[in-house]
Amino acid sequence: MLNKILPHKAITIKALLDFKKTPFNILMFSVTVGLLAMFLIGAINYFIHGHHAYGVSREHPWGLLIAMYIFFVVSSTGLCIISSLGHVFKFKSFEFIGKRAIFGAIITIISGFAVIGLEIGHPLRMAIYNTISPGITSAIWGMGVLYSIYLGLIVMEFILLSRDDHKWAKFFGLGGLLVGIAAHSNLGAVFGFLVGRPLANGVFYPIYFILSAMITGCYLLFLMYGYKYRMNFDDDKEIFLKHLARLLGLLLAIMLFFEFWRFLTLIYGDVPERAETALHILKSPNFLIGELLLGIVIPFVIILYSKAEAIHKIIWASLGGMIGIFFMRYDLIKDTLMYPMQTLKKVEYQLAPTLINYSPTWTEWFIALGAIGITLAMYYIGENFFFLDPKENDDYFDHYQDIK
Amino acid sequence: MANYAMVLNYKNCINCKACEVACKEENGILLGAEKHRIWVGSMNPEGEWPFLSIASATFLPSQCQQCENAPCQDVCPTQATYYDKNGVVQVDSEKCILCSYCMVACPYDARYVDDRTMTIDKCTFCSDTRLARGETTTACQATCPTKVRTFGDLDDPNSEVSQILRTKEHFTLKPHIGTKPKLFYII
Repeated sequence: MLNKILPHKAITIKALLDFKKTPFNILMFSVTVGLLAMFLIGAINYFIHGHHAYGVSREHPWGLLIAMYIFFVVSSTGLCIISSLGHVFKFKSFEFIGKRAIFGAIITIISGFAVIGLEIGHPLRMAIYNTISPGITSAIWGMGVLYSIYLGLIVMEFILLSRDDHKWAKFFGLGGLLVGIAAHSNLGAVFGFLVGRPLANGVFYPIYFILSAMITGCYLLFLMYGYKYRMNFDDDKEIFLKHLARLLGLLLAIMLFFEFWRFLTLIYGDVPERAETALHILKSPNFLIGELLLGIVIPFVIILYSKAEAIHKIIWASLGGMIGIFFMRYDLIKDTLMYPMQTLKKVEYQLAPTLINYSPTWTEWFIALGAIGITLAMYYIGENFFFLDPKENDDYFDHYQDIK
Repeated sequence: MANYAMVLNYKNCINCKACEVACKEENGILLGAEKHRIWVGSMNPEGEWPFLSIASATFLPSQCQQCENAPCQDVCPTQATYYDKNGVVQVDSEKCILCSYCMVACPYDARYVDDRTMTIDKCTFCSDTRLARGETTTACQATCPTKVRTFGDLDDPNSEVSQILRTKEHFTLKPHIGTKPKLFYII
């Protein structure tokens, strides 16, 4: 019955665990199980201690979990945008990635929801009052509603792609793309609308988020295909990855351009609050090593000097790129909240507040990193349960007979 | 129906913190440095001995600014933050989902998490306590030994706050961001 709606492979849990015991497979299995265990332990500790288990405070109310939620939804939107290049915009070399990329978009956003579910104080109440008492001027409300619609659309797209119904898949793909972009720029607006925080306030974040998502999508596709084919690509894959590398190179160049003008604008004129914080960020290792070097410069230089040909190096750089993307999300929270809103000394025998420090607790790290385990586990199950490649590329070709 | 506001003659403040204590006592605020609806900010004297600037060593009592155009109300996804009939910014703890967006959006750091309800709490001008009992002053005002605070209705031209604002120069905090605070500081 399910096979009629969503074609899938016949596979048992026993068969899922019965993978080829190569050192690499065992490593990936251990990492996935380890991360899932971390998520579980972190979640249990949160259920025992509530928000006290987190390092957030009155002055720094958002922390690592919000950053990680953004990390996941950026990944999801990025995969959706890049996949649409194939089945919506009909770029030939991108056409075969559709299902795999959309499946990636689904599992990353589900992981994101798992994280935000442990950060929002009352998630069930959110579902109720977001519906019956909507605050339509709130960017969080807009984002929540749009991401819910987005998830529905990309799930439909995945089902239709799996059924080889490309006409309707294109329709839902376009819908998913448009709603995804709307949702994601709304997420940027969550920060852009902060009138009291000059570092974040303005048009930059809603636009930057889309660019950043596309870069994340490229990095993830490099990693997904590098992992899938163990770095041995046939002609089709190689052409696709080289085209993807060119696209990534262009996007990274635009990102450098964005960052240059962003910081110049932030510092120019020495505007109170803004310039001081921006200079602090510019000198921080998180920005210099994490965001700039790993997230942008290393992949960009490799693409530039190899003329987008050195696929293997770019795949390795994508791993660093994703670490860089993580720092971008983490710094987004930390930088936005860094400058105190109340700069006078409130408690005697203490110093007046300066830039606010925040360190995630082990519970936050366990939940945040553990959520990557959710993505990895769902990806492994999906790889073995669904048809993530077009018919002609799938080893499980014979089982397509049931479709239609 | 009123339009409540507060005028602070902040130069009279002696930083005795009686207002902080009265607020906690009247409104049942939890103990702990982070858990406060109101506070007194103090500035250290600037300069080096013997040329210390006494003028810079002042105290600035503060609390929720009860903005007319409150960013916390704009950003609330469930309308848990709302203006009551007296123009006071309130939080409906039944609707609050503790997304903490209002804490991030508030330019005055006037909100905190109440651990009993696990929702956001803030100054309400004693709406649920003293005003509900028919009194006309807030706890912080009533207890102040140097009469820093004056509380009243802006819409009533004969109220004390209206008279002070008509006759004395005053300023608000962070006016450039357009929140239109209703806490006025007399110069």
